[in-house]
Amino acid sequence: MPNRRPRDLLPLVAPVHVLILGVIVLPSVYVLWLSLTASSFGKAPVFVWLDNYARILADPAFRSALWNTIVIVVAAVHVELLLGLLLALLFASGLPLRRLLLVCTLAPYAVSEVVAVVAWRYLFDPDAGPVTQALHALGLPVLDWSFEPLHAMMLIALLTIWLHLPFTFVILYAARLAIPAELYEAAKIDGARPFQAFRRVTLPLLGPAIVVALLFRYIFAFRIFSEVWLLTGGGPARTTEVVAVYLYREAFSYNAFGTAAATAWIMVLASLVLALGYVALLRRQVDVDAH
Amino acid sequence: MRIDRLARGIGKGVAVAALLVWSLVPIAFVVTSSFKPGRDIFAVPARYLFAPTLEHYGALWSRWGVFFEGLANSALVTAGAMVVAVVSSTCAGYVYSRHKSRVLGASLLFLIVVRLIPPIVITLPLFPIVNALGINDTHLVLIVLYATFFVSLGTVLMRTFIDQIPRELDEAAAIDGAGRIGILWGVIAPLALPGILAVAVFVVVFAWNEFLFAFVFTGTATKTAPLVVSEMLGSIDGVDWGILFAASTVQLVPVLAFVIVMNRHLVAGLTAGATKG
Repeated sequence: MPNRRPRDLLPLVAPVHVLILGVIVLPSVYVLWLSLTASSFGKAPVFVWLDNYARILADPAFRSALWNTIVIVVAAVHVELLLGLLLALLFASGLPLRRLLLVCTLAPYAVSEVVAVVAWRYLFDPDAGPVTQALHALGLPVLDWSFEPLHAMMLIALLTIWLHLPFTFVILYAARLAIPAELYEAAKIDGARPFQAFRRVTLPLLGPAIVVALLFRYIFAFRIFSEVWLLTGGGPARTTEVVAVYLYREAFSYNAFGTAAATAWIMVLASLVLALGYVALLRRQVDVDAH
Repeated sequence: MRIDRLARGIGKGVAVAALLVWSLVPIAFVVTSSFKPGRDIFAVPARYLFAPTLEHYGALWSRWGVFFEGLANSALVTAGAMVVAVVSSTCAGYVYSRHKSRVLGASLLFLIVVRLIPPIVITLPLFPIVNALGINDTHLVLIVLYATFFVSLGTVLMRTFIDQIPRELDEAAAIDGAGRIGILWGVIAPLALPGILAVAVFVVVFAWNEFLFAFVFTGTATKTAPLVVSEMLGSIDGVDWGILFAASTVQLVPVLAFVIVMNRHLVAGLTAGATKG
């Protein structure tokens, strides 16, 4: 290399680091300080230690929001993983017009949360939505999501699965394609039935990709905001509120910045704990690259 | 054996049909309903054959001028965020590809981890700061926010793609007297184009569709298209579904076409981004 003085490299890496530090790191640290103080418009902030955390943990609305978020994360992400896995296996088993079908599968990735809510609110309109009508015609129960909190949660989960399945599918499909075909031939020669080949070859080798997909989706599902905000607004009567919607209301409806900041830091901690798992997986890779 | 194969074929056919219904029907309903006469949209039983009309597009044009301003704002913010993210990620990715050290490795992990902080967290402090700086309701705020949330992934992707370009090319260009910037933009960037396109797909789709930051940080001057659509959806005097579908279609079709055209780069980016860290 022509020269290796770190000073020459700085201008090239600086923009990325300035953006990350200025927009994400410093504001997050400021939020931490905010979460330890009591402040409101026009008043000097007072340091109150963990008061804000104690207050939100005692707030039934926060607990319900946290519970709803966990339910959505656990239900939606795992169903999504299962669907993504099935799709990956379907594609790997050989399909005609594979590229075209792949593009169709990716289509929801292009759809904004707002337009997705428009589509799903229409499809499941309780009076005349096409899906509601079809369910009626088949004699099946319909989703009464504008009154029943549980039904609303199911619709939110469906919507978020629909939006993010392309991501999970691509991760799993790429990992599946990376498994050498010889392994399946060897398994066949050893007399393995298709299901045994799946149990003994596919599943173990997909393991790391499954963990990566899961961690990413846990992190991103935990911050869910737009789908809930636009579909139910957290209603009826705050029953479908999630943590991010609770945070938004505390901050921008009630000007309660201390408790909003405490909520924010609970979200940061949850994300970072999950991110550590991801980093642990990546670490080896980066270490290998460094030598 | 033949029955077995037939059963497999039918099973696959059913699975593919289900996949197509799941992925495409919600999109198809939005697009086709935008051409449906108003009375047919909520017809019981649902009406699938109808005389197409452009009445909703006409009404959108005459009554929702703000939506078209929103499209212009979205286009400007998307282009700005893409340029900022691509240029800064390419520069950083080049350094991370060509130079390895413990400090650089640690700083890359730092970039990856920090970006996983939920965006809503930083709206709290940035809202007053943006107001204090007097840059509220400017395109700059959204450009910086959107670019920032993709520079980590962008840097990782660019590093992965630049890793595949032989170092001999850098050295040959250096011997010819090219400076570092000349090497990067004259030699490396053209060869790393697939990486640049992958980064661009992520940023463009995100910036064009984003709701939360636009909701918190835009006012009358910079409202983006998704925000205007959400206002139609939440309108108190009843939702006009025809106009809503027309606006949704106009917002959706460009980005859908973009993803279809760029599908290879999207898949390559998703795969490399998640597994190469």
